[in-house]
Amino acid sequence: MTSIAIIGIGEVPTARMPERTHWDIIYDTCREAILESGLDKNDIQGVVSVTPLGQPIIDAELSYGLLPEELGLDGVRDTVVVNAGGSSTSNALRMAEHWITTGIAEAVLVNHVTVHSTLSPQQMIQAFARAGVDMQWEYPYGTTYNIIMGLTANLYMKEAGCTPEDMASVVTALRSWAEKDPNSYYYGRKPPTIEEVLDSGLLNTPLHRKEGNVLADGGSAMVVVSAERARSMGGPAAYKLGESVRYFSGTTSMRDAAQMRAGMRDTAQEAMHKAGIDRQDVDLWNVYLAYPAMHPTMAESLGIAPPGQGARYFRDGRMSFGGDIPWSTIGDAPGRGHTGSGVSAACYVETARQLMGRAGERQVPDCRYVYQNTSGGSGFNLIASIWGA
Amino acid sequence: MLHDMKKPLPHVQPWSAAFWDRTRQGKLLIQHCRSCDRYIFRPRKYCPHCWSDAIDWKTASGFGRIHSFTTAYAMVEPPFAPDLPYTIGFIDLDEGVRMMSRIVETDLARIDFGKRVEVVFEEREDFFLPNFKVVD
Repeated sequence: MTSIAIIGIGEVPTARMPERTHWDIIYDTCREAILESGLDKNDIQGVVSVTPLGQPIIDAELSYGLLPEELGLDGVRDTVVVNAGGSSTSNALRMAEHWITTGIAEAVLVNHVTVHSTLSPQQMIQAFARAGVDMQWEYPYGTTYNIIMGLTANLYMKEAGCTPEDMASVVTALRSWAEKDPNSYYYGRKPPTIEEVLDSGLLNTPLHRKEGNVLADGGSAMVVVSAERARSMGGPAAYKLGESVRYFSGTTSMRDAAQMRAGMRDTAQEAMHKAGIDRQDVDLWNVYLAYPAMHPTMAESLGIAPPGQGARYFRDGRMSFGGDIPWSTIGDAPGRGHTGSGVSAACYVETARQLMGRAGERQVPDCRYVYQNTSGGSGFNLIASIWGA
Repeated sequence: MLHDMKKPLPHVQPWSAAFWDRTRQGKLLIQHCRSCDRYIFRPRKYCPHCWSDAIDWKTASGFGRIHSFTTAYAMVEPPFAPDLPYTIGFIDLDEGVRMMSRIVETDLARIDFGKRVEVVFEEREDFFLPNFKVVD
């Protein structure tokens, strides 16, 4: 199914910098991606933006076409914003794929920007509390994203028989990658120990403060062309090889844990089948789930860890920097810093970076195939994809 | 910054109005599809299983069991902060449907998976929200 490839990436460090505006980030990320791609700015014929969640002004500016004009992208034929929460970037790339394969555009810029630091803590809590929950049957009870994840994590811990120490080790693993990532909020900062995670205070059972997310600012951009064109250009590129998806439910009340686990398993198998590879061929499992609590379930569903052993694999350090299972090499949202739907964009950028051999200290040796997933809202879907060098 | 301390009210749909009406009388209703003989929660305009409009209401027993739960200690919206700590759970009703709710009037140490619960109602402006308390 090789149809598109990422040939240029741009990214700014994730941080809380209110003086760095949305448009600062858009200029820098888009310019870097286009310059790196080897194309001229006027070769870009389509722009697909990942929606900035809870930021209505920039969302409207992007939705109504300001980006190509602002950046002087004179060759653009169309622009659109896509929103599927954390799976927005997968859909942005699908839109790029559609435009490229149907002849609407030969080169598409996919970008994301988020600035959380100009919002009050309560505005941020509210934005996340109302996303992916039912306004009639869930929200009036006082739900938050942390609470939704707590409901899921408690159930997993009971079924797997794993301990708070096991679960806390997921954070230490993810943060071990973030420590080595110059674009992470936690770059250069020592990961917390299991004891420090457990001593950080409860948000809601079983989640401790260090198992939650820091909401930060960030942005990234990718230039996408046809696979054929990428090959002819001869530079490093990340090729989309296979994809599969499942829808679960819009609300957590209606979501079935067994169905989710089957979805994680089946989408991976189907994406790998389309890519013509087996699980053993995957060099990096670049998992995006926003919270650490779901990572053990994912490890088990993907067949990386035996049932009930996912968290213990993390505790044994197997998914940490230096471990034998390269996993979420920007540390997912707990490591990178949470930029709303932008974490999924950052994950795709990392997938491309790894396949291009530019991941620095985090570079997975001989990285040829990457599993990359996204999931939207509180987990309404799961999109699995395989990318190759 | 001043925050709106008013707790949110359910966003009612025309087909769920009867549910909220009956909560004022201490009744927990769930929909039942006459065509496929299945219970439905949350209320829908058409049966989500067979798309029939032959839907009527049944009064639920008001009993169920805790499927999962989490107790919040921090980082909630301002209107809910005075309630901390509070517990939210998934309740499996005896009729076979699941709903999210608060677990109230119960020592936190007694809240656990599979615990038997009974509905109690919390008045909030014109609404009575169904909560649950542990009874075993």
